[in-house]
Parts: sequence; structure tokens; C-alpha cells
Amino acid sequence: MLSPAEAVELDFTPEVLTRDQLTTIETVAEQLVPGSADAGIAAYLDAQLRAGNDSLLIGKYLGVDIPAQIDFYESLASNLQKALQTEQAISEVLSAMWSDTQANWEGPPASYMLFVLRADALDVTYGTPGGFENLGIPYMAHIMPEQPW
Amino acid sequence: MVKEKQDVVIVGAGAAGLTLAARLAEGGQSVTVLEAGPERKLSDLVSSQIWARKLKWAEPAVSESGDHKIGHAVNAGRGTGGSALHHYGVWLRMHEGDFSLYSDHNVGLDWPVSYEELSPHYDQVQAEVGLSGDSVKERWRPEGSPYPMPPLPLFAQSRVLAKGFEKTGRHTSPLPLAINSEPYQGRRSCQYDGWCDAGCPIGALGNPLVVWLPRALAAGVRIEHNATVSRVIRSGQNNQHIESVEYLQDGERKTIQANRIIIAAFAVQSVRILLSSATQQHAAPGNHSDKLGRYLMTHPAATVFGLFDEETYPHQGVPAGQLLNHDDYDKKNAPGGFGSSQWMIGHAIKPHDLLGYGTSRPDITGAELEPWLKRAARHLGNMTLVCEDIALPDNRITLSDKVGTDGIAYAHAHHDLDPAAAARWTQRMSEGADIMRAAGASEVWSGPRIGMHIMGGAVMGNDPAQSVTDANGRVHDTDNLYVAGPALFPSSGAVNPTFTLTALASRQADHLLAAK
Repeated sequence: MLSPAEAVELDFTPEVLTRDQLTTIETVAEQLVPGSADAGIAAYLDAQLRAGNDSLLIGKYLGVDIPAQIDFYESLASNLQKALQTEQAISEVLSAMWSDTQANWEGPPASYMLFVLRADALDVTYGTPGGFENLGIPYMAHIMPEQPW
Repeated sequence: MVKEKQDVVIVGAGAAGLTLAARLAEGGQSVTVLEAGPERKLSDLVSSQIWARKLKWAEPAVSESGDHKIGHAVNAGRGTGGSALHHYGVWLRMHEGDFSLYSDHNVGLDWPVSYEELSPHYDQVQAEVGLSGDSVKERWRPEGSPYPMPPLPLFAQSRVLAKGFEKTGRHTSPLPLAINSEPYQGRRSCQYDGWCDAGCPIGALGNPLVVWLPRALAAGVRIEHNATVSRVIRSGQNNQHIESVEYLQDGERKTIQANRIIIAAFAVQSVRILLSSATQQHAAPGNHSDKLGRYLMTHPAATVFGLFDEETYPHQGVPAGQLLNHDDYDKKNAPGGFGSSQWMIGHAIKPHDLLGYGTSRPDITGAELEPWLKRAARHLGNMTLVCEDIALPDNRITLSDKVGTDGIAYAHAHHDLDPAAAARWTQRMSEGADIMRAAGASEVWSGPRIGMHIMGGAVMGNDPAQSVTDANGRVHDTDNLYVAGPALFPSSGAVNPTFTLTALASRQADHLLAAK
């Protein structure tokens, strides 16, 4: 299996979400957690959603099943695409999302969706041996993961 | 597939199930364990908070409602070892007053056993599992044998946080842990690298894979993995008698017969199995008085964080924490709410994941994030409040309308927090922020209130009209069906439940062997 960063380099082919949906989500994730695009947030999300009950996304902790997780990210992408087509700067969109005041938002609260996306972006950027090293934290694995995710 | 009739079939290969399996098989009983999840080995326990999510519950799905959800997906485990495979190893005894809540306070329920009756089993289990702690410094500890190992060493974060408790007139002691501070019974000592909830592959944490499973297998226990139990089946001749267990494995519906059947599938799945066993002729076992599924509990808990000028290196140590405070534990009736509370202090913590410090500050994003994470990686302190939940009849596990593709009905868990328990949580969280500031934190914040641990649903009691099982865990309207694990708890206390559920399983094993 490719690492997220390797998948990005190889221009992976999404199978669950569309390229446009992933690009939109990736753009916002990068604003929240710089470095997450290069770390492979798009490939990470698509691969985990493809894994069904073996998905390791933060949604697993929240008890959300895979069909609902796919709906979640599709809804997130749709809302973001609408918001980013307006005259608002992306920073203004994010601010409105955190305060759940973004106009025409549909589905789960915008602040909750951003929280989940930010947690996914933290996972892929800092939840790996490379991410620990970047923060100056010794990883100290008992058993080193063969793949970051 | 096991064809011959067993002395005992146990549903669930977690802490309670494997404790019973080992003890009963060593006592000469033929035992088969049915485990819904896959086989887990120590070599599967990869050091990654992302990969660790594989150890969490998956199917059959559990839906939730209420103002304080139980967090089933986080708290429950699946596969050999169950939720104890990813537990943090905090092993505390419930206090004497936790067993007589209704008698003492006219709140919740009483236990049908006392601390005094359970105490010998706490002692026996702690010697078998191996606990590290200091029974003298733990001034609030109920009477019992000293811990078999000294406490874990203190790291910088805990030394900093202890000052806050001292300056506010409070006490701390080493946190008692099922983690080896020194080699114990052939198992290695801890390396303090903070990967406990990804599963400890070196055997330093006393999870079921290293404590009970080897004993169970040596005594001849057979474990059927990927075996999801759908129901238990009553005898056609004697409706008090359960003659077999039905389960799905490899796409086939199978049954296994046993003289005794023990449901030890954690709180929600144990109730799901019993509820699914109702027939047109008979109510679900244990549900003759509509008590099955009721009194579901989860500890209201949250973490308080602080940033310090001093270096704390919060990656060091163990995720459970290193210090304990029980100053207010026995003050259930103190003004401001109701219930016991405890602080677990100085958790080893990662930058990401649901409980990570990066996740705790969603307001920090963009260019500010990485410098903040780097600062937190050296200067963060954190501690977790655990408060008592109160058993309420309307907090309940029921069968969902949804049915899986395999035909197994899903469970639904509803939980609201009692207002008095919620008030106690709010009060103690405010005090926690004060303690953090007293320790020297320049910036203090809190995580959200979460449901930690799951208890109740098949509560034990002396009155069959008010409970599901008797004091030995036998389901009231049956002669050979038992429940084990936290589903039995009539009250939650404010301590982590694994020690108590294992001590209860030890007591049940003695009862079953004496009555065989």
C-alpha cells in the first residue's frame, strides 16, 4: 500500500469521492493544518472510505458507519464548493463555519464538520513517525507501523 | 465448530470472559469461548494511534441518543482481549460506599454484594495480574493487600501538576496501574513510551492476552473467533433452562450446547443478545420485570489542559496518568451536585487522535498550529476528571429497528446525565482549572464532557423484580444462564471498572466451581 504522500506523488485515482470533491476538501484541510495536502489528506480520506469497516478515520471513534461517513465527506465537499464560489475569502468562510453562521450550509453543523476534518488532517500530518519527528517528539515504537496508516 | 456439549460456553473473550474461562477450565470444566471479533496477537499491536482504531468495536453497529452518550465506539473493543486490549490499565477498587448508594443516599441502586465480600477477590486478582502502586500513600484506598509492585516512576509532567494539588490543599498518590514497574511473573517492565491504548505488545500492561489467555489455553479452553452470537435458546422441556447458544461464523448459523452459559460481551452486546432471545412464548431472559437494558451508565469525564513555562515532556510515561486524587471521592453528598469524583493526573499524550492535544484546540489552525504543537510537545500538562454516573431506569439499551445483512438486530443505547451528576461534573471541572493554574499553567482549557466506560444494563440485585441477575450473576428466571462483566454493575462509582469487573468474575468463578 502506498503512503499518502507517495499516493499524491503518483497522482492516485480516487474511487469513492470525486477528484473535485477531494481537491476542495484538501484545500480547506491545508488551511486548517498546513502540510496536510502534501502528507496526502486526499488519498488518505479516499482510501479509508474505500476500506469499509476497516476504515481508520476519526469517524470510527464517533460511531459513524461508512455509508454515513461517505455522505459526510460528500456533504462537506458540496457545502465547501458552494461557499468558496462566493466572494468570501477562504479565511472568512472558515470563520463563518466555526461559528456555524455560513450561509446556505446544509447537513451536519459546519463547526462539527471542520472539527472532524481538522482531526483527520492532524492524523495524516502529525500522527506518523515523520510527523512526530517534525515536532521533535521521539516516536519510541514497540512495533513500528509498516505503513503510516 | 465444537460439536460436543460443553460444561461452559462463554460469550466474549474480554477481561471478564477470559478470567472466567481460565479459572473454570483450571477447575476441570470444558470451556468454549465465542468471540465476535478476530483473533488478536501481541504482534498485531502496532504502535500507532491510527492503526489502534482497529481494536475498537465495529459490527453489529450501535446507535446512540441522549444528552450524554456512552461513546460505544470508543469504549468498546472487538477481538481477543475485548476492550481490555486497549484499556489504559487504571485498576482502582470501588469504595465501600459505592456498594450501598440507595441505602445511604436514596439514590440509584444498591449492590447485592458488599466491598467486604469482594475484597478477597480484589486481592487475588491483583496478585495474578500484577499491580503497581503505593497502598500507604493512596490514603483513600479501601482495605486490602498491598500492591505487589512499587509505583511507576514520576516524570516531569506529574511533578509539575502535583504542585497544583499541594498548593490548593489537596493530596496526590501514585496511580495504581496494571502496568509492571518491574518484571513480574515472567512479564517485562514498562518502557514508559505512551502506547498503552494501541495495545501493549511487550506484556508490561496486564491485558487479557498476557494474563488470562495463556492460562485459559493451557487449561484446554477453545476460542471460536469471528463468532457473533445472535441469541440463546431455551430448552423445550424446561423453560428455565438455556440449552444452547446460536451464533454466526463464516456465513453459517451454528449452535453450541452447554450446561452453563455465561454472557460476557460487555454491557451493550450482552443486553443485545439477551433481548434478541425473546420468543413468542417467553420474554427475553432476565426481562420478566422489564429491567433488562435499564440502568445504563457511563462516567461523565473530561480532561483539563494547561501550558507551562517549565518543560513537562508529556510524551513520557503512560496514557493512564501517574498520580491520583480521591480527596472528594467519599463526599457524595457534598454541596454542588451529587456523586464521587477522582482526578487521574499526568497522562502521556500524543499530538493527534481524539484525546490528543492538537485535537483539544480546534481554534488553533493555519500558520499558528505547528509552533503551538511544538510548544505543547514540551510544556503541556493534562489531567482527567471522572465523575460518578447515577443509575436511571430510562437510560436504556434496546434493540434498534435496524437489522444487519446477517440478520442480527442492532442495539440502541440511550443515555441522559442526571442533573445532580452533571452539576457535580461542572463543579469539579471548575476546581480542576483552579488546580491547573495553581500548578503554574499560563493557559488553561478543557476538553468536552465525554462518556468514559460503560456499565449497567443487566444489573445484579437481591430483588428479582428490580434486577436482571442475582448476586452471582445468574439471570433470575433461568437456572444456568449467567452474565459477567460491567453490565452487572448497579452503580458506577467514579473509578475505572476493569478491576471490579475482574474481581466479580473471580467471585463468579468460585461460585460456579463450588456449585458444579
